[in-house]
Amino acid sequence: MRQPFVHKSPIPGLGLSAGITLSMLSLMVLLPIAGLLVQGFSAGIPAFLAAVNTPRTWAALYLSFRLSLVAALFNLVFGLALAWVLVRYRFPFRKVLNAAVDLPFALPTAVAGIALTALYAPNGAFGHIAKDWGFKIAYTQWGILIALIFVGLPFVTRTVQPVIEEIAREVEEASATLGATRAYTLRRVIWPMLAPAALTGFALSLARAVGEYGSVIFIAGNIPLKTEIAPLLIVIKLEEYNEPGAAAIGIAMLVMSFGMLFVINAAQVLSRKRMSNV
Amino acid sequence: MSDLSHPLSASTFRPAATEAPWLRITLTIAVVAILGVLLFAPLIAVFYEALREGVGASLATLANPESQSAIRLTLLVAAFAVPLNAVFGVASAWLITKYSFCGKAILITLIDIPFSVSPVVAGLCIVLTFGANSLAGSWLVAHGMPVVFAVPGIVMASMFVTFPFVARELIPVMVEQGRAAEEAALTLGASGWRVFFTVTLPNIRWALLYGVLLCNARAMGEFGAVAVVSGKIRGLTATMPITVEMLYNEYASVAAFTLAAVLALLALVTLAFKTLLEWRYADQLAATHRH
Amino acid sequence: MQIEIDDISKEFGTTAALTPVSLSIPSGALVALLGPSGSGKTTLLRILGGLEFPTAGRVLFDSTDATRLTVQERRAGFVFQSYALFAHMTVFENIAYGLRARPRAMRPPAAEIARRVTNLLDLIQLPDIGARYPSQLSGGQRQRVALARALAIEPRMLLLDEPFGALDARVRKDLRQGLRDIHDTTGLTTIFVTHDQDEAMELADLVVVMSMGCIEQVGRPQDIRARPASAFVRDFIGA
Repeated sequence: MRQPFVHKSPIPGLGLSAGITLSMLSLMVLLPIAGLLVQGFSAGIPAFLAAVNTPRTWAALYLSFRLSLVAALFNLVFGLALAWVLVRYRFPFRKVLNAAVDLPFALPTAVAGIALTALYAPNGAFGHIAKDWGFKIAYTQWGILIALIFVGLPFVTRTVQPVIEEIAREVEEASATLGATRAYTLRRVIWPMLAPAALTGFALSLARAVGEYGSVIFIAGNIPLKTEIAPLLIVIKLEEYNEPGAAAIGIAMLVMSFGMLFVINAAQVLSRKRMSNV
Repeated sequence: MSDLSHPLSASTFRPAATEAPWLRITLTIAVVAILGVLLFAPLIAVFYEALREGVGASLATLANPESQSAIRLTLLVAAFAVPLNAVFGVASAWLITKYSFCGKAILITLIDIPFSVSPVVAGLCIVLTFGANSLAGSWLVAHGMPVVFAVPGIVMASMFVTFPFVARELIPVMVEQGRAAEEAALTLGASGWRVFFTVTLPNIRWALLYGVLLCNARAMGEFGAVAVVSGKIRGLTATMPITVEMLYNEYASVAAFTLAAVLALLALVTLAFKTLLEWRYADQLAATHRH
Repeated sequence: MQIEIDDISKEFGTTAALTPVSLSIPSGALVALLGPSGSGKTTLLRILGGLEFPTAGRVLFDSTDATRLTVQERRAGFVFQSYALFAHMTVFENIAYGLRARPRAMRPPAAEIARRVTNLLDLIQLPDIGARYPSQLSGGQRQRVALARALAIEPRMLLLDEPFGALDARVRKDLRQGLRDIHDTTGLTTIFVTHDQDEAMELADLVVVMSMGCIEQVGRPQDIRARPASAFVRDFIGA
C-alpha cells in the first residue's frame, strides 16, 4: 500500500502516522480478509463453487437476505415515522426516547438475543399472546424477523433526522401558499428531500441485518433449510473443521456486504449532487 | 406558533407547515407504542428475568467462578483493544486530515470495511489467517503464542469489529478544525509532539472520548466474532457475552440474565454518557451528533 | 383586490409583535411596509398570507372577511426572503408547481401549464433556464423564479418578504425596476416588506412606516418626506 504522491507538508508526524495507520490497517483488516480469500479459493474455483452451491447454503443465504430485506423495509417505514415524530412533534419524554433509539447500537447482541427469546417464547410475555391466537413467534422465521428489526431500528431514523432538521419551514410554507394540500407537500416536496438519506439508512439496516448473529441464534430455532441463517452455517462448518466450506460462505457474504456498501456510497454521492443549498 | 388560548384561535387555524392534530396525535402514540414493544420490552425483560428469584440470588450468581472470569476477561480484552484502536484512530485521523495526498478516499473506504462485514465473517477471517492451519498461525503456535482459541485472538477480533469507530469520530471534527492551529504552533517553535499534546489533543478530546466510548461498548459486548475465535473455553477464553450464551444454553437462566443485565447496565451508562457529550459538547463532535 | 386590515394584533407568548393596527390598501396599489427589524412588518405580511393567525382583528379581501381562510384558500402569491425554491425540481417544475398541485377538477391540462410557464419565464426575462436547477442559478435569477412561481397561480395579491435583501446593489436596482414593471403589467395589489427606505420611497405608491408593532405613518412617499408624522419617521426616513 504505497501512497503515490504526498504533498510536502511542514506538519511533522507523516512518517509515524502513516506507519501506524498502514501497518495496523494491513495487520488487522487487510491481512485477515486476504486470508479469507486465500482459504476460500485454495482448492480452486470449482471447489469454491461446489461449497457454495449446496441447498443448505443457498437456503441459508436466501433466508438471511430475504428476512433482512423485510426487516429493513419495516425499519424504513417505521424509521421515517419515528424520525418525523422526534424532530417535529413535542411530547413528554421526547428527549429520553430520542436517546433510547440508540439502544440497539449499544446493547450487546447476545443480551438482545436472550431477551427477545424470553419475550417471544411460548411462555413469554408476548409469546403467550401469540400462542393464544394460534401461532408461534420464537423459533420461527417471525422470531428472526423481530430480532433483525431490533438490530436495524436506529439506522434509518439516525440518517434521516438531520435532514428533517435542515428542512427550511419556508419551503413547506411556500408549497402551501401555492395551493398544495399538506399531503401533496409531504409527497412532492418533503419526501424527495428525505429519500437519499432514507435509502442510505435502509441499506445500512439491511447490511447490518444480513450479517447479524448474536441477536438471532437464540430466537431462531436454527433448523437447517428452515430457520438457519448464513452466519450460523459458517460457525457450523468451522466446528466440522470444514475451513474451505466456511470460507466459501464467508466470501459469499462478503460480496453481499460490499455490494450494499457500494449502494450506500452511491446514494450519498447522488444526494450531495442534487441538494446543494438553495 | 399559533396560540391556542385566545377565543379567536379556533380549531380552523393550523400553521402551514404542520399536519392535522388528529394525525399528529395518532402518529405519536403509534410510534411510541411500537418503540415500547420493540425497544423497551426487551430491556425490561433482561432485568425481569435476572431478578426473578430475587436480588440476592441474582447477585450470588455473579460470584460464580465462571461469571468472575468472564468479567475479568472482558475487562482485559477491552483494556487492550480500546487503547490500541484509539491510537490507530488518532494516527489515521492525523494522517488523513493534516496532509494532502491521492488515495484518501480509498484509505477511508478500507478503514470502513469492518463496518460492513458480518462479525462472524470477521472472526472467520482471523481464524483462517492466524489459526493453527495457516502459515502465520502455525508459526505462532510453534513459538508458544497461539492467537486463535486464546486471548490475543479475542483482542484481535474485538479490534477488527471496532476498528473504524474512533477514526470515524475524529476525522470529521479534525477536518472542520483545519490545520491552522497546528501550523501556528509550529511557527512559534513547538516540536511535533508538543503541538500534538498541547494543541491538537485538547481540541479533539470530546470527539476522542465519544469514539472511545462507542468502541468500548462494542468491544465489551462483541459476540459473533469472539464466538468464532475464542473456542469458548470456560475460564480461559469465555468473555461475558459468550458466558451469557453458555449459561443460557445450560438453562442457568438467572445466572445468564444477571450477567446480561450487567452488560445492559453498561449499555445504558454508555448511552447516558453519549447523550451527555452530545448535549454539552455538540460543537466539538462530528456534525451528525449535533441536534 | 382591495385589502382591509381591521384592528389586527398579534402576540407571541407575552411579546406583542403587533399592537392593534388598521390599514386600508386600495386595489392595485404597490405598497411598502417599511421599518427596522422587530417593527412587526413581516408578521403583518405573514398574517395577510395566512401563515400566521392574528390574536385579534379581521382581514377583509374586497369587503369579505378572509380571516379564517386557510393558506391554500387565500391565493396570495408569496415570495419568501430565502426564495424557498424546491431544490430537487427544475425551474420549470418549480413554476408549474402551484398549477400541478390543484385538484384534478381545477388543474389545467399539461400543454396549458407549459404555455403559462413559458409566458412567465418571458415575463421575468429568463426564457432559457427552464431546465436548470435552483442550485445552478444566481441570487437574482432565483428571486425572479420565486416571483414567477408565485404569479403562476394567478394570485389575488402578491406578498414579498424583503425581496431584495440578499442581493448586491447592482442586481437590486435591476430587480426593483423588474418588480415595478411586473406590477404595472399584472395590476396586482402588491405588498413588500423592506428595511431600506430608499427602496420603499423609490418603488412604492403607498408607504407604511412601522415601528415596534405600530403603524407610525401611512402615505405617499412624497407626503411622508414632506410631513413626517413623528420624530421616529423623520429620523428613519432622513437617515
